[in-house]
Amino acid sequence: MGGLYALMSIGISLSWGALKIINLAHFSFILLSAYIVYQLTVSFEVDPLLMVLVVAPLFFMLGVLVQMFFHLAKVDEFKSLIVTFGLFIIFQSVMQTIWSADFRRIGPVLNPYETQSFFVAGIAFQLPQLVAFVVALLIAGGMWLTFTRTYFGKAVRAVAQDPEMARAFGIDSRRVAVILSGLSTAFSALAGVFIAIGQTMFPQLAVAWFGIVFPIVILGGLGNSLGTLTAGVIIGVAAGVSSVLWGPLSAPLVTFTILIVALLFRPEGLITKRSIA
Amino acid sequence: MSARVRALVGFGAVALILGFAPNMQESLEFPRFYLIFLFTMFFWIAQASSWNILTGYSGYFSFGQGAFYGVGVYTVGVLVVKQGWSFMTALPVAGLLAGLTGLFLGLVVFRVRRLTGEIFALTTLAIAFVLASVARLSPSIDGGTGIFMTGTPLPGFLGEFTTAAYRLTLAITLITVVVAYLIHDSRLGWGLFAIRDDEPVAEGLGVPTFRYKMVALGANALLAGLMGGVWALQLGFVTVDDVFNIRVPLFVILMSVLGGMQHWMGPVIGAVIITTLTDRLNSAGLTDVNQIIIGGMLVVLALAVREGVYVRMRRRWVTTAVSFFGVLGLARLLDLNDSLISDFAYAMVATVVMMLVPDRVWARFGELFGRSHPAEEPIGAEDLTRTGP
Repeated sequence: MGGLYALMSIGISLSWGALKIINLAHFSFILLSAYIVYQLTVSFEVDPLLMVLVVAPLFFMLGVLVQMFFHLAKVDEFKSLIVTFGLFIIFQSVMQTIWSADFRRIGPVLNPYETQSFFVAGIAFQLPQLVAFVVALLIAGGMWLTFTRTYFGKAVRAVAQDPEMARAFGIDSRRVAVILSGLSTAFSALAGVFIAIGQTMFPQLAVAWFGIVFPIVILGGLGNSLGTLTAGVIIGVAAGVSSVLWGPLSAPLVTFTILIVALLFRPEGLITKRSIA
Repeated sequence: MSARVRALVGFGAVALILGFAPNMQESLEFPRFYLIFLFTMFFWIAQASSWNILTGYSGYFSFGQGAFYGVGVYTVGVLVVKQGWSFMTALPVAGLLAGLTGLFLGLVVFRVRRLTGEIFALTTLAIAFVLASVARLSPSIDGGTGIFMTGTPLPGFLGEFTTAAYRLTLAITLITVVVAYLIHDSRLGWGLFAIRDDEPVAEGLGVPTFRYKMVALGANALLAGLMGGVWALQLGFVTVDDVFNIRVPLFVILMSVLGGMQHWMGPVIGAVIITTLTDRLNSAGLTDVNQIIIGGMLVVLALAVREGVYVRMRRRWVTTAVSFFGVLGLARLLDLNDSLISDFAYAMVATVVMMLVPDRVWARFGELFGRSHPAEEPIGAEDLTRTGP
């Protein structure tokens, strides 16, 4: 489960750390992507994993548009909370209107992945979660390499530290921000694909993610993709263990406790060395 | 009489009139529905005002309103229905428990100095879900079955059940607004404004930031819990999903952003406008679209009127009066609708739209009529509109 959680958190972490925008709408992006995958798979009877090719570019564009809107309206970190909360509510009601409040799930005929599982060292891993973990690992590693090794990464870090100064040194900070927003939204869309494959969907699901994703983002350090991955795995394992021990409803309690303990002792996140901002 | 005494007398007078409104119902022959409408409006005024004590004054953005409200609802539910307490003893406990929840949260989050307001916001967002899962898990609170809240006995001197619930709501609302008003013009309030504008500087100038933030958060939580406790009376059936959801924080934020978060009147005006509009939308059968409209309004308002409608209403008071009473009178005259609430809704929409005109456009508009516009943008308006820690 940890990989999926991390995948859900990376986009939000990136946008917060590098763009200074706390994008609550990401939660609805994840769910919207999941619903789109569900709809396309059911309507055209295609392989749900192939939907990555459709959803990722689509949401990249959405992210670009959202960021352009933010630039146009001059949204700062504080206002971003209110504005994206409004966006979140809009997306939620749109999804509720289109797909209703019912539980949705891709049927087993169309979705061969859900039931497959692997045994590694005596522990059962379900295939969708394993793939999600690998994807999260690839993205986190890729982002880390990009940020530390490439010119674009340098530009992103400069923009994150001081957009004005970065612009003075000839970096098109708006373009960097737009691309970054597109990327982080695309990552959220990827998470949505795995949600569609592995879980039952209903509109309120997005709200339930708040309690899990924010501890991960804060624990991992803002904009720090490797930290987010680590935090995702920790929270995922903790939530999994508590579900087995005390039932699935106890998971938010455990993750919140971890968050509070983390806030008290390591408020700057688990790994701080390579944080963007 | 000082301004403060005059204001308090004013609050008292309004409360007396509204408090005896149920008695006058028979002689004035207004529909019973109006009372229920007012009841809902009081609830939201209290919630928005208490939220604003922390978020509007100190700039720390809180999503925790739902959690505090939920603690209030569930405390009353459990104590009255499951433990057999009387309502009037359970209500203070509800406020107290909600206040303690707030203080605990503050103790964790405010103690760490490096934490930004954003992390505070997200922690408050998470706490509602944690409380929800606690309530679901523990059979002595809810256990996933819900609580039936019917026929709670209320003290007789307040009148029969609906009237008594109405008066209790009014009382809590009055307390909340008075507290918000008193804090606004006090040492505590000025300290909180200083924290909002620049916390490190405020601290350097000797504002006890930690203590002030804790007091504001505690007051917010306590008042929200009290209101939740009274609101439990009319819920009928209390479930986790209905109580700990995103609705309360959403509406409270929207109302305060609309009305303005700098002044105690802002949330009150915002609450009055939003309750009227949602009531009309619901009775027009637009419940599905309601949420989309609300979300859209939040986005537009947050970007268009930073300082809130109230500040602009004061600045453009002539326009406000003309558009409000003009549209109200017109709607009455034309007899568009038999409901008085609809007419008020039209008047409010007209006024808000007039207030949405940006200051720059407004100034140019004034010039057209040969008016210079020194009063449109008072000196120090920049300071009024600053938000955020």
